[in-house]
Amino acid sequence: MSAHQKHRYENDCKPDENRNKGASRWSHCRKRGADGSLRKSHEVEEPGKCSQSSRRPESFTTPESEGPVSRVKNWGDEVEAEEMRSNVRRDMHRYRRRILEADFPQRDRKISSGSSDSRDSRDSKESPAKGDIETDETTLVRRQKQINYGKNTLAYDRYIKEVPKHMREPGVHPKTPNKFKKYSRRSWDQQIKLWRVKLHAWDPPAEEGSNLQQIEEIDLGEIMDFELDVECSADTESQCPASSGASLSLAEDTFTGTPKKMMKIEDTEMS
Amino acid sequence: MQTDRMETSSKEEYKIQSFDLETQKLLKTALKDPGSVDLEKVSNIIVDQSLKDQIFSREAGRICYTIVQAEAKQTNGNVFRRNLLNRLQQEFKAREETRQRSTEEWVCLVSFICNIFDYLKVNNMPMVALVHPVYDCLFRLAQSDALKNEEEVDCLVLQLHRIGDQLEKMNLQLMDKLFNLLRDGFLLQEDLSSMGRLLLLEILEFRAGGWTLSETAQKYYYSEVTD
Repeated sequence: MSAHQKHRYENDCKPDENRNKGASRWSHCRKRGADGSLRKSHEVEEPGKCSQSSRRPESFTTPESEGPVSRVKNWGDEVEAEEMRSNVRRDMHRYRRRILEADFPQRDRKISSGSSDSRDSRDSKESPAKGDIETDETTLVRRQKQINYGKNTLAYDRYIKEVPKHMREPGVHPKTPNKFKKYSRRSWDQQIKLWRVKLHAWDPPAEEGSNLQQIEEIDLGEIMDFELDVECSADTESQCPASSGASLSLAEDTFTGTPKKMMKIEDTEMS
Repeated sequence: MQTDRMETSSKEEYKIQSFDLETQKLLKTALKDPGSVDLEKVSNIIVDQSLKDQIFSREAGRICYTIVQAEAKQTNGNVFRRNLLNRLQQEFKAREETRQRSTEEWVCLVSFICNIFDYLKVNNMPMVALVHPVYDCLFRLAQSDALKNEEEVDCLVLQLHRIGDQLEKMNLQLMDKLFNLLRDGFLLQEDLSSMGRLLLLEILEFRAGGWTLSETAQKYYYSEVTD
């Protein structure tokens, strides 16, 4: 019995009505009966469902669905989806408030850090106009899922422990893409990809499973220096300014350019 | 000793006295260190017990909620909640057979589902996915063959006392329909026990009063008879 079948009971609940009769008004267009079994035309109810119980509707209530309803739903999935949607809505309210606060700063308030980057609102070039944020729930949920995949990694855990938000430098340190900004699908997907590649710099040191580190050390002789420089700037709380300045910008290019060797690794790793 | 006191209080808080000691230990570990236990197993243990133990069925929501929170915090997972809900869904699907087999199990099932609805909130909102299933259970209890059983009426009014206002907020229309059935049952059904009738009258007044009893009604229903 699936929740889908509940949709079939479109009239008001009248408990005494026999709803499971073989031939009802709609049975000629229904492939399946109320119990989910394929219906042959005018088939009598199975003996198991005697008249006593067949008088009872499968469901007294007709659910209203919030979105596309799949044929078989389990409560675990439904609640997770609910949670994602309500999280996204909550994030949206917070984000809107934060944008407003940035425009009308209140003296004693710190802009609290939430799931989207709080610096956005200060940069007028990047900051979305008040109405111009992504509000489509499906899109937001999809983007949030992609963000969650990235945040569910050991690399991310290590990254956030190592580099507190106020120490992060744009370009050097990976920054979670802002799901509320308007982007095309391709642009967004690319941002996510680049973000995740950047996060790999914080992958845990190689143990049994991961060959990634070894590959990098062997094949990427030249790039290894950049790796070390990036690690260096991450490790030191204040920057190593002049000394690694040059190599830092190289590292940045390396990562944003996605050099071929890195791409190979990405493919291997992703598979 | 303080440990004993803490032990007892968590037993009382979560009403897990009816479990054997080993299981109690497992549950306590699940509360403190969910990542270290088999959460699927834990959810099954809880559901199984809820179907047998009337007291636990009415209170199990609390321990479930705590485990869900603990797991989310520790591992960012929701294995426990997902298993719990899917298992609950199975039991819900089989509710008619359960009712035929054993009224007590059926009543426990309803109490448990409602208790979960009460405690397991998503971002402080009740789980939408459970609204219709809960109503289904209550509508079933409002059928004439159920109203004549005091046990079932008692279960019905208990749930309405506890979560009626929340349910109504989620779906007013269904609550109105349900209460039409209760009114009809009260007025027209001849084979109600007098206790059954009393319970129905009280719940009708309770809702009419905005999910609370007036002082006089409270006195009427819940005070000792003096004459």
